[in-house]
Amino acid sequence: MEPLIQMRNLEKVYEAGGSKFYVLRRISLDIQPGEFVTFMGPSGAGKSTLLSIIGMLDGSWTGEYYFNGEPVHRLNVKKRNELHKANIGFVFQSYHLIDNLTVFENLEIPLSYKNVPHKERVSLVCDILDRFNIVGKKDLFPNQLSGGQQQLVGVARAVIQSPKLILADEPTGNLHSAQGEEIMELFRKLNEAGTSIIQVTHSERNAAYSHRVIQLKDGWVVSETSNAARVV
Amino acid sequence: MGTIGQDIRFGVRMLAKHRLTTVVCVAALALGIGANTAMFSLAEAFLLHPVPLENANRIVALVYSPVGANGTSFGQDQSPVAPATYLDWKKEAHSFDEITAYAWDELNLTGNPAPQKVQAFKVSANFFETVQVQPQLGRMFLAEEEEPGKDQEIILGHALWEQRYASDPHVVGKNIKVGGKSFTIVGVMAKGFDFPKPAEAWIPLSFDAKERLQRDSRWLFVLGRLKPGVPFTLGAAEMQSIAQRQTEAYPDTNKGFRLYPRPLEEFATGDLTRQYTFLLLGAVGFVLLIACADVANVQFARVTGRQKELAVRTAMGASRSRIIRQLLIESILLSLAGAAFGLVIAQWWVYLILNHMPPEVARFIAGWNTISLDANAFLFTLAIAVASGIVSGIAPSWLHSDTQISETLKESGRGASTGPSRHRLRSVLVVAEIALALVLLVGAGLLVKGFRALIVVHENYHPESVLTLTLSLPEDQYRQKPGRAAFYAQTLERLAAIPRIQSAALATYVPYANGGGAGVTPFTIEGRAPEERGEAISSIVETVSPNYFRLMNIGLRGGRELNESDADATVPVADISRLVATRYFPGENPIGRKIKIGKVDSEGAWMTIVGIVDDIHYTWINKQELPTIYRSYRQAPPFYGSLILRAEGNPITFVPAVRSAVAAVDPDLPLFDVLPFDKVITDSIVGLAYVAAMMAILGLIALVLASVGIYGVMSYSVGERTHEIGVRMAMGATSKDVLRLILRNGMSLTIVGMAIGLPLALGFAYLLSSLLFGVKAADPFAFLGLPLLLAGVATVACYLPARRAVRLDPLAALRYE
Ligand SMILES: Nc1ncnc2c1ncn2[C@@H]1O[C@H](COP(=O)(O)OP(=O)(O)OP(=O)(O)O)[C@@H](O)[C@H]1O
Ligand SMILES: [Mg+2]
Repeated sequence: MEPLIQMRNLEKVYEAGGSKFYVLRRISLDIQPGEFVTFMGPSGAGKSTLLSIIGMLDGSWTGEYYFNGEPVHRLNVKKRNELHKANIGFVFQSYHLIDNLTVFENLEIPLSYKNVPHKERVSLVCDILDRFNIVGKKDLFPNQLSGGQQQLVGVARAVIQSPKLILADEPTGNLHSAQGEEIMELFRKLNEAGTSIIQVTHSERNAAYSHRVIQLKDGWVVSETSNAARVV
Repeated sequence: MGTIGQDIRFGVRMLAKHRLTTVVCVAALALGIGANTAMFSLAEAFLLHPVPLENANRIVALVYSPVGANGTSFGQDQSPVAPATYLDWKKEAHSFDEITAYAWDELNLTGNPAPQKVQAFKVSANFFETVQVQPQLGRMFLAEEEEPGKDQEIILGHALWEQRYASDPHVVGKNIKVGGKSFTIVGVMAKGFDFPKPAEAWIPLSFDAKERLQRDSRWLFVLGRLKPGVPFTLGAAEMQSIAQRQTEAYPDTNKGFRLYPRPLEEFATGDLTRQYTFLLLGAVGFVLLIACADVANVQFARVTGRQKELAVRTAMGASRSRIIRQLLIESILLSLAGAAFGLVIAQWWVYLILNHMPPEVARFIAGWNTISLDANAFLFTLAIAVASGIVSGIAPSWLHSDTQISETLKESGRGASTGPSRHRLRSVLVVAEIALALVLLVGAGLLVKGFRALIVVHENYHPESVLTLTLSLPEDQYRQKPGRAAFYAQTLERLAAIPRIQSAALATYVPYANGGGAGVTPFTIEGRAPEERGEAISSIVETVSPNYFRLMNIGLRGGRELNESDADATVPVADISRLVATRYFPGENPIGRKIKIGKVDSEGAWMTIVGIVDDIHYTWINKQELPTIYRSYRQAPPFYGSLILRAEGNPITFVPAVRSAVAAVDPDLPLFDVLPFDKVITDSIVGLAYVAAMMAILGLIALVLASVGIYGVMSYSVGERTHEIGVRMAMGATSKDVLRLILRNGMSLTIVGMAIGLPLALGFAYLLSSLLFGVKAADPFAFLGLPLLLAGVATVACYLPARRAVRLDPLAALRYE
């Protein structure tokens, strides 16, 4: 089967005052459809940077990157944006819900950017509210929710458009362990239902949910371990 | 609801959430848009449809303009056309379907009801055909009615018909008395038709055999209607070449004048009104730009505060154009709200404009009665609202896409700082605001000063105690010179005898009356060529009673004043104003020299110059005083003149006594324009008062908006630098240091803005000074006082946020991160 993500010699450089600073060095990766992968590594290793490149939010790098067979390195901004819009959902450590929108409206956002018609939008949002058990919260604003609930909405927002891939940067970083576990369980179910997931985490417990752990350090991939002791 | 609806809903919510800034933006835009809408209504009336004619854009006004010494024509001095010239044009010109002429005339309607003076025009038979307007009742004039003797028909204006003839449907065919003669009413025009403004009636224009040959007596206004498909330029060019041929054929009469064909709308409005309209249009445009800059600055601040939200939206798949659309919708919503309030402001503004204009002035202003907030004004408002929304929103939303989304979304908070380009643009906006505000302020200051200078000139006359009135002696009854002279002498004597009337004088032209319309007349100096440096020797010619000088406080500078013994039997004499002396007798003593009105061979007598008096100012339209020659009323008694009375107390209370004094000499003589002199003066400058007042208001608005802009930017930058300031204070910076830090930043923007604005303002001042009496470009008040005022206001606007920075608790500021 064709890999979902294929990277060859991907590099990212920051230039500051004439001197170059490498953030990612010769990254070569293959991630298969349906895989659940964890990036780990010390602070500053380049995990978040790699994640936003995979998510196509960051377009300034060199090397080759194929997503689902499409050569991302050859696409213009517009095409890249479309690819991202159609296939990728994001979950953030600090949730990044929009303060001035209700839960319902926050969930609607990715759909409206895909020009999903109004009727269909409403029914999709209602479905997902149901699935995540947050129907009662739909008219509340983010600051009226607990952190765990906010992240629940964050995940719901990421999956509402049924993406092929979910990218999660320390999704449980701001949560209590119980809440964190709830989110990880959610990820596991989503993964079992076929969605590929890439997460960044510092927690071994969270890493145990994934199939494979990739270690980064100073911008290099230093090790890859298949996870035999996967939590089932 | 579509996604646009969603964006709008969210926009409304965002605006409601930031209530204070929203209110400020809406207020700024309302002021800017309101001023523009109001000015649009004026401009529409003055520039787009000043005449009530469907085919105005096909009609060309063929007027002459005297040629100045440097060969250019004075745009403002439009001089009429002589009959022979007009008749030649009718024969020779091919570009026009019709060529027609009209002339000003005033009629005394006598008989029942009471005598009434009406503003009439003599018009050629094809006049109504040319402007393509039919009478509502009756008919137009016939070709044979252009013959002298057959020309006693009249067409009534609608208002006159209503008021004097009670809208009688059978009025056509009736005979009425006009100046003692019998005229037949042949038609009534439709409501609202008062062309040429302010016509109340029309009578046929006829030429006798002598008039048909006249080339030097210019009293006709000529209009031509272009043939279909002939553009204005072609018609104008043809007329120019005809006029050129005429000048070669008749150099004596036609030299020194140049044909000046103009589209009728331009001619009707007049160059001054057009210039001032454009000036005010420019000024309101500036105000709107300043308001937009304010709003753009607020939007910048808002977008910066929302970077995270926008980054999240991008991560959720929003394209750049969708983000820009979202932000633009917000700023367009803002300006639509501004437009809604702006319409209210405009309504109020138009109301003020219409209500402060005296009706006796308004009736002369082309297009005045069409001023209103009509559908066009509404559309215009909508258009500029959307445009302002885009102008104020595009830069902030564009710059947003500069930011690195991935940075912003990273958890460290590192990405939240603003890029340098955004800072630069905000600074540029403030600098531009200050520069624009300065230009406007200086312009307003100069206009107000010029206006004040005019008032000061008037104070010399003490007009509050002067009464003026006009009369015109019927030609038949006063054909003889001694009869006219006797009439004036007796009348003045009786007037002066009224208790508490200090003196009563006669003059042919009262300064400022009739829009200051004292025309200049060529004259000849004995032993001199009729022209100097290609410029005709010319002057205003006044005929006055000797006490006129004292009554008007016009000083004697040499020789003697006219006196009562300068009469028919004695040597003809004249006083001249200083300008006649300096312009035409440089380095010579003019006293004793002889002059004559008209050419060497014209009828009048040679007059000996006996005295020199001060120049006076006849109208604000003239940048400089004009040379004036004064003749004695006993030696050249006029048919038409004004009586001027100096009273003790309110002049209007003397009107009954004055009327009966004149009636005692001639009971049938109607008096008109009986007005206190200060009213004459204020009426004559009311248009300028409008311009000055509007400019002052606009200047003030600009000042306020610009300071709001500075305040906004400074308080935003203080907010942004909270952390930095906290650190500095923790490191030992005193509150003075912090104050200096912030103020220096704000003041440098102000200074750059003024450095850019001052040269612009100077250029503007030169433009204005060429436009207006009493305005000097290098004016210390405008170029020192007003910039200082602006700088002062700007300092306060910087100081308030700076003070807030000083009050920061350093620890709290540090925790803030
Ligand atoms: N704008 C920038 N300019 C220069 N260097 C940058 C910039 N943004 C990030 N970096 C550098 O890139 C490197 C990787 O950053 P990144 O945020 O990807 O690390 P991370 O692995 O996610 O760390 P953490 O676990 O702390 O989130 C860091 O060393 C950082 O200093
Ligand atoms: Mg990170």
